[in-house]
Amino acid sequence: MINNNKECDQAARAHQIRVVNASKGFVSREDTNLLVSMERANQSHVLVGCRGGGCGKCRIQVLEGDYQSKKMSRAHIHPGEPEQGIVLACRIFARSDLTIQPLAAEH
Amino acid sequence: MKYGVMRPGHVQIRVLDLDEAVRHYCDLMGMIEMDRDDQGRVYLKAWTEVDKYSVVLKESDEAGMDFMAFKVVSEDVLDTLRHKLVDYGVAVTDLPADELKDCGRRVRFTAPTGHQFELFASKLQTGKWGINKVNPEAWPRGLQGMAVTRFDHCLLYGPDVPGTTRLFQEVLGFDLGERVITPDDSQTLIGSFLTVGMKAHDVAFIEHAEPGKFHHASFFLETWEDVLRAADLISMTDTPIDIGPTRHGLTNGRTIYFFDPSGNRSEVFANGNYHYPDHEPVTWTADQLGKAIFYHDRVLNERFLTVLS
Repeated sequence: MINNNKECDQAARAHQIRVVNASKGFVSREDTNLLVSMERANQSHVLVGCRGGGCGKCRIQVLEGDYQSKKMSRAHIHPGEPEQGIVLACRIFARSDLTIQPLAAEH
Repeated sequence: MKYGVMRPGHVQIRVLDLDEAVRHYCDLMGMIEMDRDDQGRVYLKAWTEVDKYSVVLKESDEAGMDFMAFKVVSEDVLDTLRHKLVDYGVAVTDLPADELKDCGRRVRFTAPTGHQFELFASKLQTGKWGINKVNPEAWPRGLQGMAVTRFDHCLLYGPDVPGTTRLFQEVLGFDLGERVITPDDSQTLIGSFLTVGMKAHDVAFIEHAEPGKFHHASFFLETWEDVLRAADLISMTDTPIDIGPTRHGLTNGRTIYFFDPSGNRSEVFANGNYHYPDHEPVTWTADQLGKAIFYHDRVLNERFLTVLS
């Protein structure tokens, strides 16, 4: 059974996320995906959809920095795109400070 | 059940990560894992269902729905409906027994909305989970999470809802329980809620340019209190939420929407309208779509209309 009452991991590292052409960025912990980190910071640079890699609303391009990513629907992230840093914000976890560019949702 | 189609039988859902999906449908929603096959598919049931399974999870590179199936009353009816589909000009594919575990032969066709549907007559019946067939107790102990009682319906988005509705009515004997029409003189059908029994809907369609899109699979709960408890569980597990708890105008159900870990939308709901064959369709006009879908907010959120898998 999933119980979410796990100890708050104070040690999880956090990174600064800079958004191209936006005055304000946000902070993302290593254990929290980029989209949810943005929502928790009450910001709205990126469209929010299913938050699970299935709908393609939160397409972004990472211009600088390191991250880990989970599997994303190939209907929305095409072969070759991850190599250009094109990802879904709900499926990546920052491993350094990042610079991101929101992209139009694709269908 | 005019032409022998009885009820929704199963839905095969594509997921990006099988283990995460099983945790969503079993640990959170309270379905029970019944089997796995050599394609890696996982078979689940809700506890009140008598057939062995109603949800099949398949790992894939893409989220969405592979197919939804309806159970018909007999193998003879299956043959009759197969012929009716062919006569209506619909291409059918025959799938052999046991392509899905413990399921008889299936007849598959594609609706104008681009979704694949199946008809079948036979599936292993394991009975309601956790209670005896004779002198049954009220409910089984040991259910997880929301303890959903049954797979209820799917809502699907695609083109040509009028044509798809005619196919389901004329060939398969569904009734139009509820509908959304444009407010102009054409009264074009843009939302169609179809039933084979007394439920408000067994399958529903919303007009959408892109074919074959999956809006949600829905599961039944008994009470509004159960829906609130589901909402608590969604928060406790930090599960992505769409909207709710709220009430629908269409179908009058009390509902909450959330997402599985691959971005497929799930609904749990309680109560709602009933339907008899002599009922006129409950009608909403598209200019009142906000209230039709979210009765309390009376405003549609963009996500509900455009986030699909």
